[in-house]
Amino acid sequence: MKQTQLMKNFNRKSWRSRGSWNKRQTTLLAIIFAVVFLVALLGTALTMPDDGLRSQLELRNMSPTIEHPFGTDWLGRDMFTRTLKGLLLSFGVGMIASISSVVIATTLGIMAGTLGRYVDAVVAWLIDLFLSVPHLLGLILISFVLGGGFKGVVIGVALTHWPSLARVIRAEILQLRSSEYIQVSRQLGKSSWWIATKHMLPHIVPQVLVGFLLMFPHAILHEASITFLGLGLSASEPAIGIILSESMRYLSAGMWWLAIFPGLSLLLMVRMFDVIGENLRLMLEPQHAHK
Amino acid sequence: MMRKAKVVLVALLVVIVGFSIIGCGKASQSDSSSTTATNQLANSNQNNTESVNNKDELVLAVFADTDDGFDPTTGWGRYGSPLFQSTLLAFDNSLNITNDLATKYSVSEDGLTWTVEIRKDVSFSDGVTLTANDVVYTFEKAKNSGSVVDLEVLANVKAISDYTVEFQLHSKNSTFINTLITTGIVPQHVHNAGYAERPIGSGPFVFVQWDKGQQLIVNKNPNYYGKQPNFQKVTFLYLDQSTALAAAKAGQVDIAAIPAAFANQKVENMRIEALQTVDNRGIMFPYVPSGQQTADGIAVGNDVTADIAIRKAINVAVDRELLVEGVLEGYGTPAYTMVDGLPWWNPDTVIYDADMQQAKAILLEGGWQEGAADGIMRKGSLKAEFKLLYPASDPTRQALALAVTDLIRPLGINIIPEGKSWDELYKLMHANAVLFGWGAHTPLEMYNLYSSEMQGSGSYNAGFYSNPQVDKYMEQALAATTANEAYAYWQKAQWDGTTGLSAKGDAPWAWLVNLEHVYLVNEQLDIGEQRIQPHGHGWPITANIAEWQWR
Amino acid sequence: MEIISRLLRKIFRLLTLLVAVCIISFMLIQLSPIDPIAAYIGADIMLVGEEQRQKITEYWGLDKSGFEQFVHWAGALVQGDLGTSMIYRMPVMDVIGDKFFASLALMLVAWVLSGIIGFGLGLWAAYKQDSWVDKIIKWYCYTLAATPTFWMGLLLLMVFAVWLNWLPVGMSVPAGVLAENVSVLDRLKHLILPAMTLSIIGVAPIALHTRQKLIDVLSSEYVLFAKARGESGFALIRRHGLRNVAIPAVTLQFASLSELFGGAVLAEQVFSYPGLGQASVEAGLRGDVPLLLGIVIFSTLFVFSGNLLADIFYQLLDPRIRRGRLTE
Repeated sequence: MKQTQLMKNFNRKSWRSRGSWNKRQTTLLAIIFAVVFLVALLGTALTMPDDGLRSQLELRNMSPTIEHPFGTDWLGRDMFTRTLKGLLLSFGVGMIASISSVVIATTLGIMAGTLGRYVDAVVAWLIDLFLSVPHLLGLILISFVLGGGFKGVVIGVALTHWPSLARVIRAEILQLRSSEYIQVSRQLGKSSWWIATKHMLPHIVPQVLVGFLLMFPHAILHEASITFLGLGLSASEPAIGIILSESMRYLSAGMWWLAIFPGLSLLLMVRMFDVIGENLRLMLEPQHAHK
Repeated sequence: MMRKAKVVLVALLVVIVGFSIIGCGKASQSDSSSTTATNQLANSNQNNTESVNNKDELVLAVFADTDDGFDPTTGWGRYGSPLFQSTLLAFDNSLNITNDLATKYSVSEDGLTWTVEIRKDVSFSDGVTLTANDVVYTFEKAKNSGSVVDLEVLANVKAISDYTVEFQLHSKNSTFINTLITTGIVPQHVHNAGYAERPIGSGPFVFVQWDKGQQLIVNKNPNYYGKQPNFQKVTFLYLDQSTALAAAKAGQVDIAAIPAAFANQKVENMRIEALQTVDNRGIMFPYVPSGQQTADGIAVGNDVTADIAIRKAINVAVDRELLVEGVLEGYGTPAYTMVDGLPWWNPDTVIYDADMQQAKAILLEGGWQEGAADGIMRKGSLKAEFKLLYPASDPTRQALALAVTDLIRPLGINIIPEGKSWDELYKLMHANAVLFGWGAHTPLEMYNLYSSEMQGSGSYNAGFYSNPQVDKYMEQALAATTANEAYAYWQKAQWDGTTGLSAKGDAPWAWLVNLEHVYLVNEQLDIGEQRIQPHGHGWPITANIAEWQWR
Repeated sequence: MEIISRLLRKIFRLLTLLVAVCIISFMLIQLSPIDPIAAYIGADIMLVGEEQRQKITEYWGLDKSGFEQFVHWAGALVQGDLGTSMIYRMPVMDVIGDKFFASLALMLVAWVLSGIIGFGLGLWAAYKQDSWVDKIIKWYCYTLAATPTFWMGLLLLMVFAVWLNWLPVGMSVPAGVLAENVSVLDRLKHLILPAMTLSIIGVAPIALHTRQKLIDVLSSEYVLFAKARGESGFALIRRHGLRNVAIPAVTLQFASLSELFGGAVLAEQVFSYPGLGQASVEAGLRGDVPLLLGIVIFSTLFVFSGNLLADIFYQLLDPRIRRGRLTE
């Protein structure tokens, strides 16, 4: 008896001291896991047959069963198929819109902070300009003008959502600008470009990441509202935003599965990105590891 | 310093929030108005916030707010009872035309002159007598208001005596009677820019207060010349559909309009009332082959839908009962025309549907061939495939479009459903099938949709349908001088035994279903006999509000 | 002298902004396929004939060219007339005036709450990084970011108004009660659910950005140094981190002032709360140019003041910024 206890302690200790699970490796593992998960998700969605998308009125409004693990909707369509295909569709919209938005915000934010007062004034003016139009309104108008569809939604979301992030970045830069080591670099004669990329960029990456992660589902939800107006993707194609928005009508009628599963799936996808992002950062910036 | 700044900020915010709440109060007071005459009556109800408990009061959540107020000359009241004003004529519960303000009316031989005599004992709620001058004023004002009230057909209106009015039309139009039924009469002596927000009229109710976008409060009119309502006060709440359901569950309303999808909810003390309607949904097919254009350069025509075999096959193959059961949860009826059940409907237009074999036979006879690898029929080089457009914001239409698509697929016809905005629909409707919906209490709608005069005019007869025989019948109907005479002609236009605009004839449309309007109604409330409701939920249920009572 | 020139420059900026915003909004509407006449007629499109449509077009001056319309509008504006709204058939000033105060009350409450709660949660999460608290808060925020506002509103409605029956179901005033009998308490009660809806969702960005910032601050050299000296806990954060951490939070708070006009739409819809949000979207969708431009002008004024306040705050929070000098 005592022997087993000792052995257990021994194993536990040496497991740790063997060092095979240091922080670096857990980080890497987390990234791999998340990436694999995402790829699997999207891959399944891509290769799934379309049958579940057909309406079968006799099968409507069923709560989850083995054949239909996410239940069926009011037209008898399989929610599992719809959710996965929806994630795939929304993935594209979300990614491109958020990345564009984030890139615009970061570029302008950095420019504002590093290229002198005049540029800062212009960028600040632009930010004010874009913020002045109520963002839902702006989104609708821009999508309308661009003729709707994938292009209209993505550009609309990107153009209306970069201002807040840009302001955050600008503020960060303004702070950084007056810190000692930046001053030193300047004195040493480094160009603005060098300072911007080597010193400032790494510092704002965390905020940029957070901005991106917040933007991704936001863009998807906005795509849904544009589609309801007839401008976005076709309303009959499943996009997670549409699925979620339509399901709210049926919440009052008690069909909870229409909302919970797609909602959780979207959440999971966002979370996976978060895991990738955070761990990637950890790998690149070891200083955060000294806890 | 940080602390001081914080304190200042918080104090500032408290001040601003407080100010805005009070300011909100002032603003709200200035935009809700009350009439002086009924202040005493209104004040006696001060202590009631939940009027559901009070037998004298009613709370309804049945429709969306009217953005531009309660002025009949700009379109108020054309869907049901105008509440505050009265109309010359009215419908009874079986949609027969009866007198309201009018005592009698007549139409001249040539159909151009309409003469109406009105009651002498009517006064507005401020005591002033209603005379022919008010009627003339109302119609003239409406004609020039640049609103949805279309009085193009009216050439001239004048008062022959204090209580007789004469209308001159540009052309014969038996549907002009509809205008007399839907236009509330406004008092000339108080009608001005602010009228829409505090209307005065001779109707069964008196305006008390309007909180824009939120609620409308009315009291009964003690001087009303007709049957007095059984309620002292009625409050209309403007709530979103899901919110209306919540309000019903919370016991805060007596009637709530809900979508059919919610109809399976059990709500305490309330029952489900499903009203029959002519609120229909159907597919409009472009009737002519492609190649033409409108004056604005919009494409007209579709080679696939121009083929009568396709249109008839779809009409025969669709299982309307299944659509009603599956999409409307049983709250509806199959639709074979756009006027099912109305006095001018021809019951011969009903066809047997859900017959796949028959539909296939029709297609094969029409020259279509099966056998292609993708399962879609071909006729020469033409593929049996077309787009079906629907307004993206409407879930019922989307559901119908998708359901029909999947029902028709086994037939070998590939329908491609696409959701569009209304603006895009206007541009695409001449060359693509569209899932439309409406239904009104006037046969004028039928004329506008099927007359060759109306081809491509605005959005009338978007499919460019034309049939000279049908045109002839409809002209005769318009020229008729009595309602019944007109009805006979309208019915012939639908199907006269050989040809017609219904599915048995040219089948330019595939009408699918008539919705039922579903309401949750307080168990104890009797809402009388409801007439067939038109397109446009909510207001029509109040058309007979004077008859409602507690059981 | 310095002050006057600064003031003048600010005013100049404001004016250029206003002009640019108006021109851009107007152009967007003109370029879009929205047909204001069709939108105005709406469901009755079938009952209104071609000639009547022509009449309506002339009545609202829509038969003139875009340029002419804009000039006409601008001319009236300079005289203080914002024009008449097509949707409401009322002067634009009145439409905005009616809805403005209701919007203001709602948004201020939501704004303050989401700011305070967001900031607090962000701090807490960063302080306890990687613990259960942190995980929960992060999940909570990401869930909120993926939650449609409409849902949240409905959910709260069902819980508080239906199930618990504590709060009213909608509107800003009680049903069936005359205006003179509505108390301030009533108004507050009606404000709670929409404000909660908006606050709960608005918490996410502020919390997450704050959390990130505090994490960064906590791993900086000087904090390490302070820890080595024995400082810890909240005192550590307060003394070294708080001001810095507040910067992104403040930025977001003031940037979200623009939400005042746009973001509340869905909450207003669920609760039938009479605010400017819905009016602005309606104006856009239905091509109601005077109303649209009127709302956009107000929005610009608000945002401008908001950003101005934010800039002032930065200077208070971080004196180095003052030294480094901001714009103007």
